[in-house]
Amino acid sequence: MKHAKILGPVLGLIVCICIAGVSDSRAEQISLNYRLKWLFNTSVAGDIFAMEKGFFAAAGLDVTVKEGSPEKDAIKELELGYADFGVASADQVIRALDKGADVVVLAQIFQTNPMQWIYRDDQKQINRLSDLKGCRMGITYGGNDETIMKTMLAKAGLTLKDVQVTGVRFDFTPFLKKQVTLWPVYRNSQGVILAGQLAKEGESVRFFNPADFGVDFVANSVVTSGKMAAGHPDLVRQFLSALLDAWGAAMDPANQEQVLAAVKKYDKGTQGEVQKAQLDATRDLVKPHPDTAVGQIRRKAWAQTEAIMLEQGMIKQPVHVTSRLRDLASFQ
Amino acid sequence: MLFRRIYQFMIVYAVFLAILLMVKKGLSLSDYVIPGLPLILETAVQMSAGFFTDVMDTLSVAILGQGISIFLAFFVGILGRKSSWAGSMIRVTAYNIQAYPIVALAPIIFILLGDGFLSRLLIAAMICYFPLLLSVLGVMAAPVEDIEHFYIATGRMRWQLEVKIRAFENLSKLTTVIAGSATLAMAGTIVAEFIAANAGIGYSIRIALYQSNLAAILTALFMIGIVISVYQGILETLGEMVKAKWGSENKGKLL
Repeated sequence: MKHAKILGPVLGLIVCICIAGVSDSRAEQISLNYRLKWLFNTSVAGDIFAMEKGFFAAAGLDVTVKEGSPEKDAIKELELGYADFGVASADQVIRALDKGADVVVLAQIFQTNPMQWIYRDDQKQINRLSDLKGCRMGITYGGNDETIMKTMLAKAGLTLKDVQVTGVRFDFTPFLKKQVTLWPVYRNSQGVILAGQLAKEGESVRFFNPADFGVDFVANSVVTSGKMAAGHPDLVRQFLSALLDAWGAAMDPANQEQVLAAVKKYDKGTQGEVQKAQLDATRDLVKPHPDTAVGQIRRKAWAQTEAIMLEQGMIKQPVHVTSRLRDLASFQ
Repeated sequence: MLFRRIYQFMIVYAVFLAILLMVKKGLSLSDYVIPGLPLILETAVQMSAGFFTDVMDTLSVAILGQGISIFLAFFVGILGRKSSWAGSMIRVTAYNIQAYPIVALAPIIFILLGDGFLSRLLIAAMICYFPLLLSVLGVMAAPVEDIEHFYIATGRMRWQLEVKIRAFENLSKLTTVIAGSATLAMAGTIVAEFIAANAGIGYSIRIALYQSNLAAILTALFMIGIVISVYQGILETLGEMVKAKWGSENKGKLL
């Protein structure tokens, strides 16, 4: 009884100290908002892993990772102060620079653009760009794939009139019904799902990757505002370092089960087998070679992306995007 | 009526644009977030002609959709006006179907009907139909006892006469609802085009959104506003003409 009388206040004191400790450690953390380009799924495994496995917290950061969508533009949010970091595609960055936005690129997540075209194995194989002539292909008007396809056709001396174009929407029916031969997909998300569906029907597929034909159009990259990069280099370094470490860990096959478990918490609707295949495909895009550093910025590809957009009249004048590329070393 | 509609829209649009430009100036935002006036004007010059064609395309679908929805709303409204079990059943069904968001049904419609004209028409008609139906049901289910009593007492009441009495007594309400539903039909068509169609102004807005081109979206909004103002103005003028005709020397003859 006597012990109980003493134990009560002591336990209370311990609890108070613990709460105060937690509050202090939280207070020391810097709160940041990080806007993704798309919904939570396996293609953002590194971002989810950073959040779930405490990479940000270990760097002293309290990062809120927010899902993206076509309506949510990370670059606009950076400028409006709704986000501190974000993910944007190269064409978004270049368009933003063309319109006077102050944005810098910190890392290039995908070394190979996931935007590719899927086609059935029994169809005419695309070995040369001129093989595209007469193909029935899907294009998302206004999307990246339209720009990429126009560039490839121009390289082959063709125009959209030399192919049969179908506008692409959310459902794969035209491709599944064989009304369209080449269908644009994100290689590591829809590509995996479609390939799986067709495999069940006994059909195998190939992917037409524009990069194999010299069209290297950069995809998703981590961005921040020029103001943040110049004003808070330490914070940028902390964030970027934590994020790239997380991506590196997420792409390590040894961590596969942990990564899939983390992704599953946010993407409950996709089956485990599909997520595993998506993770394999994502790994190939993020780290195509064992010696590829995660997040490395390929300046040549960026320069080519700008050249393509300039050539197609998507920007009015050169924006010199390569002058806006930073990497972790720039903040050391 | 027509010109008042147009200049009222111009005032609203100008105020909206002025607020946007003030926000841009106040927060020192780039043209990427909110385009400046020169960029908006440049884009308008470049894209107005194409957008006008797109808006007319959308309007044609909207008019057709509105026509279908008016017909359906009156058809169901007249059938469901009775306080019988069947009438009650029709009303309950109509109210319940209204609870389904069209945007959630749209993907199914596009999968079944493709992304062409039919899907746009159906979605426009569906979005426009339900509010119209509610008004028509409300009008048709409410007896005008003062007048109807006479015809019932003299044994001359027929269903056509009942419908005419109720429509005539609520003419102002019905014409206002029909004119107002033009906006809904247009909005429905634009939603359909935005989701999955391959033509029309909603489709052009989606492309502009993909390209983060707010100047193009503002131009499209201007075009939509002008065209819908003209269309609504015409409908209101027609409504006034109908009311004037039915409300003066011809009053009663139509019955």
